[in-house]
Amino acid sequence: MTARASADVASAPRELVITRIFNAPRCLVFKAWTEAEHAMRWWGPLGFTTISCEMDVRPGGAWRRCMRSPEGVDYWRHGVYHEVVEPERLVFSYVSDHPGGISGHETLVTVTFTDLGGKTELTLHQAVFESIAARNAHQRGWTSCLERFAQYLVNSP
Amino acid sequence: MSPDFLSTTYAALADPTRRAILARLASGEASVTELAEPFEMSLPAVSKHLKVLERAGLIARGRKAQWRPCRLEAGPLKDAADWLEPYRRFWEQSLDRLDDYLNELQVGEENDDRES
Repeated sequence: MTARASADVASAPRELVITRIFNAPRCLVFKAWTEAEHAMRWWGPLGFTTISCEMDVRPGGAWRRCMRSPEGVDYWRHGVYHEVVEPERLVFSYVSDHPGGISGHETLVTVTFTDLGGKTELTLHQAVFESIAARNAHQRGWTSCLERFAQYLVNSP
Repeated sequence: MSPDFLSTTYAALADPTRRAILARLASGEASVTELAEPFEMSLPAVSKHLKVLERAGLIARGRKAQWRPCRLEAGPLKDAADWLEPYRRFWEQSLDRLDDYLNELQVGEENDDRES
């Protein structure tokens, strides 16, 4: 484990970035991502069918989908929208649900839509670090909130 | 690998100092003092990072030698590298389908225009 391991650390598998150009106007591509009737038609690997799709596309809104594999196995995914900037940017958390009600680790997906005059460049970025950092920040927020509440109780007559 | 275990690996990898320590260990064993050298950091601060890495299974520490050398454990790193692949496949195939769907939608629109 020398050069190879070093490369593994350096190129750390920290994020996934995919860029695509679609031959469609930006507002249509954004719509395909944010309206359930459209999202159901393409979301999921080849051969999968989306059998349930709920999405409350606004900051803080939740989404939940179920994909059925060609073998008939259902896969649930869920998350929360963090940013919704029509028609240029979507940020949402992405969690895989495992059988038995256990949730997998959370990742954060950022999708940007760039207008190329009739065509649209889409960049998808999926990362796990940011998500951990965001969750920790969120937890710190709650902790400080609870501390203040505790202080309030102590000070109350 | 359980999701929680992967989270522990990523939490450990999230810090740039800890990634630098791992990169240093990739070229061979080192003592805490040696690891501390390139960083402007106290030994206890480095030890704290090492404990996080050890808990995540990313390094192991010698028991026999007085200086307890640290060495890299590559297993969890490989697991962490593997996590991306299913996501990549998922999105590549979804985006292929989105491409087809967008074309379908637009052909539909053109036909509507022609009819009206």
